Order: sequence, then structure tokens, then C-alpha cells
Amino acid sequence: MANEKREKPGAEKTKQAKDGQFYKSVWRWHLYAGVLFAPLLVLLAITGSVYLFKAEIENVLYADYYEVQAQEERVSVSEQLSEVNRLYPEGIVTAYRPGEDESRSSEVTVEADGMSMTVFIDPYTGESLGEMNNNDRIMDKIEEIHGELMAGTLGDRIVELAASWAVVLIVTGLFLWFPKKMNGAGGVLVPRLRQGPKIRRRDLHAVPAFWLSAGLLFLIMTGLPWSGFWGTNFQAMVTNTGEGYPPSVWIGDAPKSDVETQDIAEVPWAAETFDVPLSSVQGLVPLPLDKVVEIADQEGIHPSYSVFIPQEPEGVYTLSVFPPKAQDEATMHIDQYSGAVLADYRYDNYGVIGKVVAWGITLHKGSQFGLLNQLISLFICLGIVFVAVSGVYLWWKRKPKKGMGAPKAPPLFKTKSFLLLMIVLGLLFPLAGLSMVIVWLFDKLLIQRLPAVKKWLNA
Amino acid sequence: MKKIYGPLAAAVAVLLVSACSVRSDAADLYKQEAPLHITAEMPEDVAPGETVRFQLELKQNGEPVNEASFVHFEVRKQDGSIPYPMKEAQAAGGGVYEMQANFRSDGLYFLEVHAGSGDAISNPHYQFIVGELSESELDSLKQGPALDAGNSGHHH
Repeated sequence: MANEKREKPGAEKTKQAKDGQFYKSVWRWHLYAGVLFAPLLVLLAITGSVYLFKAEIENVLYADYYEVQAQEERVSVSEQLSEVNRLYPEGIVTAYRPGEDESRSSEVTVEADGMSMTVFIDPYTGESLGEMNNNDRIMDKIEEIHGELMAGTLGDRIVELAASWAVVLIVTGLFLWFPKKMNGAGGVLVPRLRQGPKIRRRDLHAVPAFWLSAGLLFLIMTGLPWSGFWGTNFQAMVTNTGEGYPPSVWIGDAPKSDVETQDIAEVPWAAETFDVPLSSVQGLVPLPLDKVVEIADQEGIHPSYSVFIPQEPEGVYTLSVFPPKAQDEATMHIDQYSGAVLADYRYDNYGVIGKVVAWGITLHKGSQFGLLNQLISLFICLGIVFVAVSGVYLWWKRKPKKGMGAPKAPPLFKTKSFLLLMIVLGLLFPLAGLSMVIVWLFDKLLIQRLPAVKKWLNA
Repeated sequence: MKKIYGPLAAAVAVLLVSACSVRSDAADLYKQEAPLHITAEMPEDVAPGETVRFQLELKQNGEPVNEASFVHFEVRKQDGSIPYPMKEAQAAGGGVYEMQANFRSDGLYFLEVHAGSGDAISNPHYQFIVGELSESELDSLKQGPALDAGNSGHHH
């Protein structure tokens, strides 16, 4: 008994010291990750807020291109294409979008002079309403910033890194937020605004951040399947299990047209040497686009679909539609010679995880539940901006004149629980994991050897 | 601490290389279609007035289709001058269907096959020549087989 009593305070002290070390490690990583990624998260939140209203914004911006006066008879798709052919005799038509309702123009995508153009056609007159260089679509620019900072693959990886680290921020933030003693809701569920500026500053970061964490985590986890590294690998793994998107809906190859090359009619291109044997121009000819549109209508595809036109002899017509609601999605591949449906994937044909991801994406885009969805997402985005700014402000006010103000943390390998946490997060988000390893090596090989830097970073 | 670098580097390398891709047979795990596959024997060097036989073989899931829901042949001339009625093809057994026809005037013709079996429909278009081609038909050939659409793929 006596022994036990004597030992107890000592044991508690070690436990407290251990807790303290764990707390310091968490705080340190939360601070550095937060300061580093706050600007990016603000950028993602702002571009995301704008992109939520893509459809509304484009309907206003492009009203002159979109709206047509409905009439009795539509001209054939072929006639619409010949208008495009007249405008771009050398152009290659790559896609056609019939328009989702009777007052909507049809769109033809054409590659010409190294540019990708959209020609808007009045389907009742067959005349062009105007053309747009696809590089000039402002909402596409916003999407490009949101998805890859307009910096291609590198940008994509940086965004993914920010998203992964945001998860680390949420997890470490929750540890810091978690009350050590239950003393009511103040500072936990509601901010304490009248207990001095220090407590107010802390609570205005920590409390809203707690409330937002679920929404932020949701946006991250629904956004990640889009990303180039995590997303591509995740999608491939899930598709391979049979529970994801069927191949070609997101990644994976489309089937090929079922054809022998020698059965296809040749096109005698060089007009001056029209000496090709006539028999070679006999054979299979590609289906006119009108037929493909007919098939789409028969198969009951959501009317906002696009048809992608095959560019190779064995290619297929691909009908693809990602409408506001996940349940309306469809991807269909049609043999370009016979019109046979080679694959027809609807939402119902997705695996369980594929369905969840599809819902995640439409919720992330704010389209699944219309205005309510948009407003909730907008609220989360604005909240992210507030939490990022209040977090940086909190750090700025607390930080000493010299140095970053991060608590000195014990070496990574001394705090097993924290190391374990980081390893788990690093494995779930390999890009973040890789960056952790780089930071650790950087610290080991450089910072620890440069006294000035070491002091400034309190490393 | 040195011990840790090796396994760590290996883990990172595995991570970067293991970027996985969709298996080529992944489609088998999802909804399958049973498209109707048509192979056609097109007569060559058809002279005007000559009786020719169009023959095609229908297969589904690799098996010959003997009892197709329908197999129709539709012929039209490129310039639209001569209308032919749609004709039902005769089953010749072994998944083979055929039709005889004879064309009095020279020119560029299209044969459209409409075939159905179960839910699957196949509708290939073939181009063939009877006798000699006119100037305008030669021109239309240079534009590509189906001037209206879907020909962009042949422009390279």
C-alpha cells in the first residue's frame, strides 16, 4: 500500500509529461501545417465558392449562345454539322451536345488551328449563334485554379497535398481542441468572447473550426477522388474490385468498335491520285451522328448528354452525361459502324463505392440538392476562410518577435503515439506522408545543423 | 537511427511505383452487353443488271443467331434517285441471312442492315459500287463516306 502511494505521484508525473510531449508535438505540426497551407485552403475555398454557382453564372454569361426560340421542326444533326464544316473547313469535329431542352442551343466542339472551339448552333435554323474558344471559358479557369492552380500536374499534386494536410490539420486540431476538463460548453462548443482577447482569439479559431470540421472533411474526402495521384489510384483500385465506377466512366479504357480494318471503306483522300482500286472504297461506313442521337433518345439518356466522336477507325461513339444529380449519370459506348451498344453504364450499374463517390461529387459540386446544397457548401467555404484567417491571426498575435513561436517538440521517435498517428495519416494520404518524410529529413539533415534556423524554428 | 533510412526509402519507392491502373478485364465485373455482331460478305465488281447476293452472318456472345427478331435490308442510291423498299432477309441457317437484288443503273449505293435479337440492335451501313461512278459520286467519295457526320476520323 505504502509503496503504491509513494509511486503514484511519480507515475502521474511521467504520464503528464508524456501527455505534454504529445500535446506539444501535435501543436507544433498543426502550427506549421496550418501556416503553410492556410493560403492554399483560402484559395480553394474562394474558387470553390464561385464554382458552386457555375451553371447560374454561365447561364447569364452565355445567354446569347445558349437560348434559342423553340420551333416546330429541328434541322438534322448533319445539317448542323455542315454549318460547322462551312465555318471550319479544316476543323475536326470531336463532340456534339444536342441541348437539354427545347430552348437550348446545340453545341459542336471542333478542333481547328490548334484551338478547341465550341460552335453554338440554333437547332431550328441550323445556323451558328456564335463561337467560343474553349480556353476563354471563365468557369473553366476557376476550375483549373481549384483543381490544379493552373499549373498542370504539379499544381494538381500541390492541391492534393493541401487537401491531405487539411485532414492532418483537422485531426491534430481536434486533439488541441479536445477539452482536458469538462468545464461546460465555453471554449468547446461556444466561443468565450468576454474573457479577454487571448481567449477570444483562441476560441474564434478553435470553436468554429470544430463545428466546420465535419463539413471540411466531407469536402476533402469528396474532392480527393478527383485528384491526380490519390484519386487516380483510388479509382483504379475500387474499379478493379467491381465496387467502383465501371471502367471508362472515370478511368479505364472504353471498348473498341468490333471491326476488321479491311472491312472498312477507305476514303480516297488525295484527290489527284484517285487511282485507288474502287473495291477499297466498298465496305463499312461510319454511322451518321443523327443515328447516334436517335439511339441516345431511345435509350433514355439524360438530355444534357454529349456525344464524343471517334477519331480512330476502331474508336467508338461515347455518350456521356454527368448531370446535377448522380442518379442520372450515364456513359454509353456505341460501335461507330453498327450502332450496337457495346457498353451502357448507368448509375445503377456502379458498384457501391462508385455510387458513394458519384454522390460525393455532385454534393461537392453543390448540384445534387440544388440551391440548399449550394448554400450549405458556400457556408462551409466561407467558414474555411474564416478559420484559416483566424488561425493565422492567432499565431501572429501569439508568436514572439524572434522565431516562429512553435513549441519545442521532442524528437519524432520519442513520442510513439504521435508517430503512430502520423504514420497512419501518411499511409492514408501518401502524398502527405511523403512530404512528412521530406520535412523530417530536411529537419534532420539541415535545420538541426544550422543554429540560426534551428533557433528561429525552435526545432 | 541509420537503420530506418533503408526501409523508409523502399517504402517511398514502392509507393511511387505502385500507382495502380485499371485491369483490362475489369469490365467483366460490371454490367455486360451482348452486342449483335454482323459480318457481311459484300459482292465486288457488280455490273448493272447483274443479280447479286448479299450475305451476312449474325453472332451474339460468339454464337450464331438463327432466330433473330428481325433482319432487314435497306438499299439506297447515294444521290437518292432510286428508292428501294426495305426487304426482309431470308434466313439461310447457321446464323446466315441473305438477300438477292439487282441494280439496273450504275452508281454509288448504300446498304443499311437492320438486325435485332433480344435487346441488341445492330445497324451497319455498307457502301458499294455498281458499274461506274459519276463525277458527283466521285466527289462525294472524296468528301468521305458519310458527308453528313462521323467522318472526321478519316481526315488524317
